[in-house]
Amino acid sequence: MKIAVVQFPGSNCEYETLVAAKNVGMEGEIFRWNKPPEELSYFDGFFLPGGFSYQDRVRAGAIAAKEPVIKTLIEEAENGKPIIGICNGFQILIESGLLPGTGRVDMALAQNVMVSRGKIVRRGYYCDWINLRHDSSSKRCSGSFIIDRGIQLQMPIAHGEGNLVTSTPGLLERLNEENQIVFRYCDAQGKDFNEFPVNVNGSTESIAGICNPEGNILGMMPHPERAFFSWQLPPGDTSKYIGESGPGRLIFESMKRYIEVRA
Amino acid sequence: MLKIVGLADEKVESNLRSNDIGMTVQEARSIASILGRDPTLTELFCYDAMWSEHCSYKSSRSTLREFLPTEGPNVVMGPVEDSGIVAIDDKWCVAISHESHNHPSQVLPNEGAATGIGGIVRDVNCMGAIVVATADPLRFGDPFGPKANKVRWVTEGVVDGIWQYGNALGVPNIGGDIVFNSSFDDNCLVNVVSIGVVRKNEIIHSKAPQAAGENCYDVILIGKPTDSSGVGGVTFASEALREEDEITNRGAVQIPDPFLKNVLFKANADLFELVRNLGIEIGFKDLGGGGFTCATSEMGAAGGYGMELDLDLMHKAADFSPEILAIAETQERFLLISPKSLCAKIMRIYNEDWDLPNVYEGARASVVGQVNTTDRFVVKHKGKIVCDVPIKHLTGGIKYQRDEKPRFKNFVEPDIEMLEDMNQVLLKILRSPNIASREHVYRYYDTEVMGNAVIRPGEADAGLIAPIREEKFGIALSVDSNPFYGRISPYWGGATAVAEAMRNVAAIGATPWTLTDCLNFGNPEKPESFWEFRESVKGLAESCKKIWLKGYKNQPVPIVSGNVSFYNESPEGTVDPSPIIACVGIIHDISKAITMDLKEPGDKLFLIGPRFDELGGSEYYRTIFDVSGANVPIVRFDLERNMIHAVIDAIDQKLVKACHDISNGGLACTAAEMAMVRPAKFGFELNLDKAGESIMRTDKLLFSESSGFVLEASKGVEAQLFNLLNDYGLEPMEIGVVTEVQRILIKRKGITVIDLHLDDAKEAWDKGLGEALK
Amino acid sequence: MRIYIRVWLKIPDAEAATVKNTLTRRLGFQNQISDVKKERLYIIEVDSGDPAELAKNFAKELVNENKESYRSSFEDLSFEDGYVPIKVNLHIEDGEAISTQNRLHNRLGYRNIRDVKRATIWKLYIKDDNQEEIAKQITESLLINPHKDSYEILSM
Repeated sequence: MKIAVVQFPGSNCEYETLVAAKNVGMEGEIFRWNKPPEELSYFDGFFLPGGFSYQDRVRAGAIAAKEPVIKTLIEEAENGKPIIGICNGFQILIESGLLPGTGRVDMALAQNVMVSRGKIVRRGYYCDWINLRHDSSSKRCSGSFIIDRGIQLQMPIAHGEGNLVTSTPGLLERLNEENQIVFRYCDAQGKDFNEFPVNVNGSTESIAGICNPEGNILGMMPHPERAFFSWQLPPGDTSKYIGESGPGRLIFESMKRYIEVRA
Repeated sequence: MLKIVGLADEKVESNLRSNDIGMTVQEARSIASILGRDPTLTELFCYDAMWSEHCSYKSSRSTLREFLPTEGPNVVMGPVEDSGIVAIDDKWCVAISHESHNHPSQVLPNEGAATGIGGIVRDVNCMGAIVVATADPLRFGDPFGPKANKVRWVTEGVVDGIWQYGNALGVPNIGGDIVFNSSFDDNCLVNVVSIGVVRKNEIIHSKAPQAAGENCYDVILIGKPTDSSGVGGVTFASEALREEDEITNRGAVQIPDPFLKNVLFKANADLFELVRNLGIEIGFKDLGGGGFTCATSEMGAAGGYGMELDLDLMHKAADFSPEILAIAETQERFLLISPKSLCAKIMRIYNEDWDLPNVYEGARASVVGQVNTTDRFVVKHKGKIVCDVPIKHLTGGIKYQRDEKPRFKNFVEPDIEMLEDMNQVLLKILRSPNIASREHVYRYYDTEVMGNAVIRPGEADAGLIAPIREEKFGIALSVDSNPFYGRISPYWGGATAVAEAMRNVAAIGATPWTLTDCLNFGNPEKPESFWEFRESVKGLAESCKKIWLKGYKNQPVPIVSGNVSFYNESPEGTVDPSPIIACVGIIHDISKAITMDLKEPGDKLFLIGPRFDELGGSEYYRTIFDVSGANVPIVRFDLERNMIHAVIDAIDQKLVKACHDISNGGLACTAAEMAMVRPAKFGFELNLDKAGESIMRTDKLLFSESSGFVLEASKGVEAQLFNLLNDYGLEPMEIGVVTEVQRILIKRKGITVIDLHLDDAKEAWDKGLGEALK
Repeated sequence: MRIYIRVWLKIPDAEAATVKNTLTRRLGFQNQISDVKKERLYIIEVDSGDPAELAKNFAKELVNENKESYRSSFEDLSFEDGYVPIKVNLHIEDGEAISTQNRLHNRLGYRNIRDVKRATIWKLYIKDDNQEEIAKQITESLLINPHKDSYEILSM
């Protein structure tokens, strides 16, 4: 089993993403944007890592989405291979139409807006640890294949544009019905609260991650590769230093399991 | 040629000034006499850049040599190249560099601060190291003072510049500090520290390697096309700022590009791998102050060779004149000296694999000249020789012996009475911009990128990263300098900065392993400023020596890198003496590191470090009474060393669950912060009767900034902890207990002195900084 | 009263260069497009004051003279010949425009400011006769995300 971490100029999470993938027993390598795209077919799955591809020029993810490697990834995805886009990778998946999976650009990740008690208290870039809730069922999607519905995960976010907005009528209803809303921001008790700091970036319905109808493509703003080992967790979490694994590991193990089941 | 020989001083002076050359007439004459002719314009520009304070340390060098300890058992490389390097173990080293970007940040805060990070990470990367962290010590003016608008504009721009550059580059910012003080109203200080990791046998040096001259090694310029940016940048950084100059000064600030840098770093990694695999030695250096001239001539001179360069071969943004190309400070460039046999491979790495020309218009790697065995530095432009000087004369710089004279001081201890409502006093201090939580700022910083963060800003006194997956060690980083102490006593300002930076890393369980100093002062030609500089250096050196390297009695904690920034002054005044210190700590097992948050109700709290009546420069005096006082905290070297070393051992033996060092705001703020910091679940009750010093007034006991630590002891091992501390000659004081109740409760002689709900304290502390910057 | 401030980079505009690169190398416009440039546009509504003086003062705050130049005009926004100007702005709330307005109004004390809007002007140098159609295609395929951006082709 071999995965590729697709690197664009400006990516900055490819190395730790690869470390995480290898740690759960997948083989893998970093795939530079200007390599022959047809070589992507040798891989069983793909990660689009975080960072600032093309320095977020025009819009985050907009330029990378037009690269030949993405055209090839679209074909690979049609064959059912899994793709997980993290942070900037999620932005690229949306700009390329791979998510929510209609082939069109059906949503945008706009600038973060932090709203508290109805007032805007801050905007833009924010880095912190947040709580996520898995709102889809297990086996629904590649990146949460082994995660049960309702499970909470603690992970860091670090982005300026993660506020999901859409003007496509009926899209949100459909995503909800089809179990495509995979992760939502929630409080420490797992409850919804649609204001900062729980909904950390103002995202519609506190959405943090979605998948395509087929479930092989997942995009998420939080960084599982930075919550992969228990020592990466912040204090106050009793699991720091207990055991070796952090919650982010489940995303990578899900990908591996998904590939195994598919094979 | 610029006419110098045979002219009168006034005429030479006017010739120099009319060509924008800042050097003195004597300097120009000495150059002409070495050359035996009138120098060319390009030669004068090159000398002007190389002999600037920034490149040559002409005022500071002798003082630094006299006092600073730069050697030690762990030192792999002291302050000679772009970064200092110390060994962590037999295999791994940490590289560190520390610089200032003060003047540019005052004029153009965003670009100035971003360029600061851009430059410092190149310094570390060019040693062959992976850059793993940055930290920014920042000093701004009074956000509530007469220049509040400007101060807030500068602060906001600097913070934006730091996060916009650092986050995009992908290097976590794990520390730093911010101090507001009116002496920085017209001169902010933007220091930046960067650390990297490198295997001991894979260090790359910034000099022409052996046999480079005999084999005519290529000189290769890599990165952004050279433009005119930053011309005058180095000399600009060495002159006092006047407001009316600001518009013209803006041209001296460089434009940084983190995106190009991100790709360059990855290409550099391939270069390093290539030469490692082939076992070939190369020379590699970043282009910073003094641009192309500085990087080329220093690399050649360090290897004992000469060099011939052709500006026509350089990739550039436009057809600039030779003196501009020679010293422009275009960002995102590196210089490489390598054997000809590697040339094709190197060109491929940068120009094809990493596709620099398509990543940034005009960026690439170009061969621009060759190393030779002469002692000359020769530069050609359009077929003509525009510079031909003795290379060691150019890089040797000059030295000045400046005069020193103590600054007249009239500091007195105030005659003040303790206020009735100490709850309000504590709230006011917690809300003050120098004490309040830094969260408002550090949420902009990507502290998580690279996935190495173990302890982040806000969680403890120092940040901690675990940069190598297969190793258990962690690298801690902290910075410190208190300008309020420095104003009263530059000596103790220097000494306490070192002591506190060391306490900070000790407080998480790491051993202070090396230090850097960035010395920010006024005009060294003024004897008072030069005196302040010398006093600070003496003080900080004394701390390095007397708080020695743990495990190596009487061996100082070495200073392996640093920077001197003079001329931080405007017509309104000089910045308070600011010897800013960064301390790298090593912990051998990251799982033993601890944070400052209170962990469990019922745990006992211990104080080490007796309180003294030394509140000069304290937050209490300034915030509550608007006075400065005279008695600054001093460093009691033996006590300080014993405390630091004891705390490290206690944490290593798992006797302590939370630890916070006492500094600004004294015991009261230290304990309050342990409760207010996330997860902020518990309160505490302190009984000052056990805090010793029964004759000391309660307010002084609470807010004295004498050094020390507050420790939360693990249950059941209190006696062990007590014994350990006793063995170091310390007298721990059991001052209180962690409580389930979320209150900050402090009593003395049965009387409640402070009783605040944790939420109220937190509200003040959380919001203070945001309010100051609105 | 309306003040327009157009701001552009004096140094190479990497973003415009990337757009051109993507249009010609990735999206098949190599025969239609000869160059791409970019400006930032502020549209500032004020109640009172001398517009020329105000524009100069606002520019001090909004223009980074180290790397940018600007031009201001009043009531009327017009463009040079030779390119198709496309105005792109957010149709969702523009946080940066709001903070710019707050900065000018609160911190710098321009109490006469009523509104600040911000847009990007993409200047497309199109070789093809069918300029409007090409401009529309380019804009919709790269320059906007319709879920947050609106656009307008100016002066056709």
